[in-house]
Amino acid sequence: MQPILEVKNLTHTYDESTPFSFDAVNDVSFSVFQGEIIGIIGHTGSGKSTLVQHLNGLIKPSSGKILYNGTDIWEKPKEIKKIRSEIGLVFQYPEYQLFEETVYKDIAFGPKNMGLDGEELDKRIRDICSLLEINNEYLDKSPFDLSGGEKRRIAIAGVMAMNPKVIIFDEPIAGLDPIGRKSVIKMIEDYRKRYNATVIIISHNMEDMAQLADKLLVMNKGKLIKFDTVANVFGDDQTLKSIGLNVPIVTKVFSNLKEKGFPVSKKIFTIEDAVSYLLELKERGEHFA
Amino acid sequence: MIKDSIIEVKNVTFEYSNSEKTKTVIENFSLNIVRGSFTVILGHNGSGKSTLAKLLNGLYKPDSGDVLVDGINTKDEKYELEVKRRVGMVFQNPDNQLLASVVEEDVAFGPENLGLSPQEIRNRVDSSLKAVDMYDFRKNAPHHLSGGQKQRIAIAGIIAMEPECIVLDEPTAMLDPKGRKEIIKTIEKLNKEKNITVILITHFMEEAQNADRVIVMNDGAVYADDTPINVFSDAQMLKNVGLDVPQTTELLLSLKNSGFNVDTKNISIEETADTILKAFHSEGI
Repeated sequence: MQPILEVKNLTHTYDESTPFSFDAVNDVSFSVFQGEIIGIIGHTGSGKSTLVQHLNGLIKPSSGKILYNGTDIWEKPKEIKKIRSEIGLVFQYPEYQLFEETVYKDIAFGPKNMGLDGEELDKRIRDICSLLEINNEYLDKSPFDLSGGEKRRIAIAGVMAMNPKVIIFDEPIAGLDPIGRKSVIKMIEDYRKRYNATVIIISHNMEDMAQLADKLLVMNKGKLIKFDTVANVFGDDQTLKSIGLNVPIVTKVFSNLKEKGFPVSKKIFTIEDAVSYLLELKERGEHFA
Repeated sequence: MIKDSIIEVKNVTFEYSNSEKTKTVIENFSLNIVRGSFTVILGHNGSGKSTLAKLLNGLYKPDSGDVLVDGINTKDEKYELEVKRRVGMVFQNPDNQLLASVVEEDVAFGPENLGLSPQEIRNRVDSSLKAVDMYDFRKNAPHHLSGGQKQRIAIAGIIAMEPECIVLDEPTAMLDPKGRKEIIKTIEKLNKEKNITVILITHFMEEAQNADRVIVMNDGAVYADDTPINVFSDAQMLKNVGLDVPQTTELLLSLKNSGFNVDTKNISIEETADTILKAFHSEGI
């Protein structure tokens, strides 16, 4: 099977040929298949945002390639706009970019720029709003009268209204309260399910990553240091610790249990895993001391 | 004045209004903050916690009721500067709080406005930067620092005013986990070593673990007011007001529901592990 997205030896140098020159992304390669959810983790300054801004052609690599369905996205620079509508990018704090008079117009902005109009445009907006449970009564409101969490939802809906095949989120839940966080996560899951879309998410929230992602990509100082299943990445807590990243709290509890002599034979990342593992142990009733 | 309270909020009501409508954000609200204490205020967006923060140092004035800082009414215009010096505020976005192009100049901004001698300003800037572990960066440009470092500079600028109390309104919301830890460590240190009263508004549960007191706000009123352990183990209450239950509590509750005999009043990782061990031992396993 051909990957939907392939990154090959991508390097991005900021302030090239100046004394301040540094590689924000350094020789990164990986492949993503359709329908996967990829989580990207790493410290601030590790190159995560710079990396994802390449994936839809927002910035150009200093060297290396990005292939979308096997074709270099920069092969025909004039068609980069088409790439940007198929690979959507939701920035950090996207609500700061709302600007229209009404929620409806704001959501319409992207699809309109793709050339949609009239009934087709209206249907597109109604469809995405019904999928994302954005109530009709919101559509005529000014986006500036909404709460922070609601604004974020509208901004995300605006990108989803372009129906991208791949959608990238740069810290979509940062700064939200728990209710806002849950509703944004639900939007992402609903969109992916409906369109079998590919999702790439940058986040610092390891619990949400353990729940959502299929694979995790770990960045450190511009380099990709691990790209593997959630179990294998969180399972290697030494690597994560060495670059100062956290593992989920539940995983920490089980590491502590293991240190105390408790038989922990597998890695636990979510509460569901934890409960079923402990129930199994209890039923077996094995002795340990 | 109640003995030893630094801030008294008495029957305060506050509303926002525009030409179309009036919205009451805080209604008949009362609260005392004990001098030297560390209080965390939790609540979802729109619960009134940021409005409360701005009432505490006179940025907002109550529509009815009073806020007293060290016995001074925030409505008393004569003492406006005195109130703001005693209660410093740190906000969410570090980029909106720094204005100078050199770190130490930024920290000096407040003390300069107090009309202090150059030597006194120098002393305060140095000791404030040391208190937040940013002294080595005093000659740097703020925009080249990380979010957590910028936020610590903002805190240093407040400490340089020698406040009695610091109110922090979601100071870590825009930071990464490392930056968050730096800020919480700094706040805890200021509270313990300098005896500065701290009021921390947040929705990260783990930041409240070492507080003396946790207040949960909902719809502009106090919904719960207790020790961290009592607040965090009340999963139903937290869910009612749309807050997260800490992962450790959630784990212990799930185990209890699956028939394990566990005490759910534990929040640290160590205690949670011990509780699970105990449950297995009591089964004779």
